[in-house]
Amino acid sequence: MTDPGGCADAHCITCGDVAEPMRVLKIDAVRALALCEDAGGSHQSIEIALVAPVEPGDELLVHAGTAIACTERRALAEAEVVG
Amino acid sequence: MKFVDEFRDPELGAAVSAEILAAVDPGRHYKLMEVCGGHTHSIYKYGIDDLLPDQVELVHGPGCPVCVIPMGRVDDGIAIAQNSEVILTCFGDMMRIPGSNGTFTDAKAAGADVRMVYSPLDALRIAKQNPDRVVVFFAIGFETTAPSTALTLRRAKAEGVENFLCICNHVTIVPPLRALLESPDLRLDGFIGPGHVSTIVGVRPFEFIPADYGRPLVTAGFEPLDILYAIQMILAQLAEGRCEVENQYKRVVPYEGNQAALEVLSEVFELRPHFEWRGLGFISQSALRLSDAYADFDAELRYSVPNVRVADPKACQCGEVLKGVIKPWECKVFGTACTPEHAIGTCMVSPEGACAAYYNYGRYARERPQAAETLA
Repeated sequence: MTDPGGCADAHCITCGDVAEPMRVLKIDAVRALALCEDAGGSHQSIEIALVAPVEPGDELLVHAGTAIACTERRALAEAEVVG
Repeated sequence: MKFVDEFRDPELGAAVSAEILAAVDPGRHYKLMEVCGGHTHSIYKYGIDDLLPDQVELVHGPGCPVCVIPMGRVDDGIAIAQNSEVILTCFGDMMRIPGSNGTFTDAKAAGADVRMVYSPLDALRIAKQNPDRVVVFFAIGFETTAPSTALTLRRAKAEGVENFLCICNHVTIVPPLRALLESPDLRLDGFIGPGHVSTIVGVRPFEFIPADYGRPLVTAGFEPLDILYAIQMILAQLAEGRCEVENQYKRVVPYEGNQAALEVLSEVFELRPHFEWRGLGFISQSALRLSDAYADFDAELRYSVPNVRVADPKACQCGEVLKGVIKPWECKVFGTACTPEHAIGTCMVSPEGACAAYYNYGRYARERPQAAETLA
């Protein structure tokens, strides 16, 4: 994360009801975590138990290191393009 | 970015602003509460207040978990941190929340090992890296954050990590809303519902507001257009004589919530009989503690804590601000003795706090600029 304290942009993303969009890069199936990238290009291991299954390319809303919603599924987006 | 740019479109903002103006009865005053501190922050950041007609007043609710934590709980955390084997971990904003004898930052300066983390998972990682120490995570937050703590505790249990504990200060949103609706101080016409809390609990738990209190609630996202749409939807309900729960944030919020999150919450936590809220006093069944199955991870059972109720500083009016009774700038010490750099009250410390949000984005400007100018 660009701000490990969680208060980037004078805005605390952990203690408020705020979530940050992140893109899934890689799944760690053994630990049930996903390596994700935020808009600034920083990487973080994210808990994905609440939105599983996800796959690389999916976009998640992340709050306090846990994905609370999947806002874009890559497979669906690709299906729309093909369709 | 998807779902961001399109919800910050100034032209659409001006159009919704015009719809809001059209829905307003010129002879009526509307008092709408945004429950969530994230909404308060967005409202000031994007100048949404300035896009509304004078008849529509936004009242800031108790939905910033840092702002509602009483001083006594900070004292409890510091007492635990003062044990030499303990590494106390917490989110960034908690570091500067004052207890009766200083903040976590002060405790750190005095020699306690206090570390800021981004997530409970980071705290668990510190525990694994320091097997000879005890890592205590000072957990705060509403239902949005509680699953993150719960999943981490479940992970710690599954992995047999015995040096990871939690001091649980998680709170729930429905009981304080009911307390506010019962309060004679406040007359509200509707609610902007908390977006990400609803991602976890769903929209159904808020149905009591129209059913029992005759007020509409619209769950909203955090982009400026989300909030404007939610206001327009509330005003439309009032104009049409409807009163119901609606979901503006359907792209993220399922009506029934997230079942996996609800399951882990009920496994790891149970309701406390009562919990003290800053400004609101003790509210029954409004907070969580660890369940018996997770008692081994409960720092409050492992360490003795003062557990004393501490009165807020007399000059501070956070209580009235949190209840929406006064605006931040109406507090006696706002912007003078109490600033983000030297905060007296919690509402000035957290960026989600109404006072800090107003101070940082609105400050002393009271005059409304022309509609739609500030969105861009």
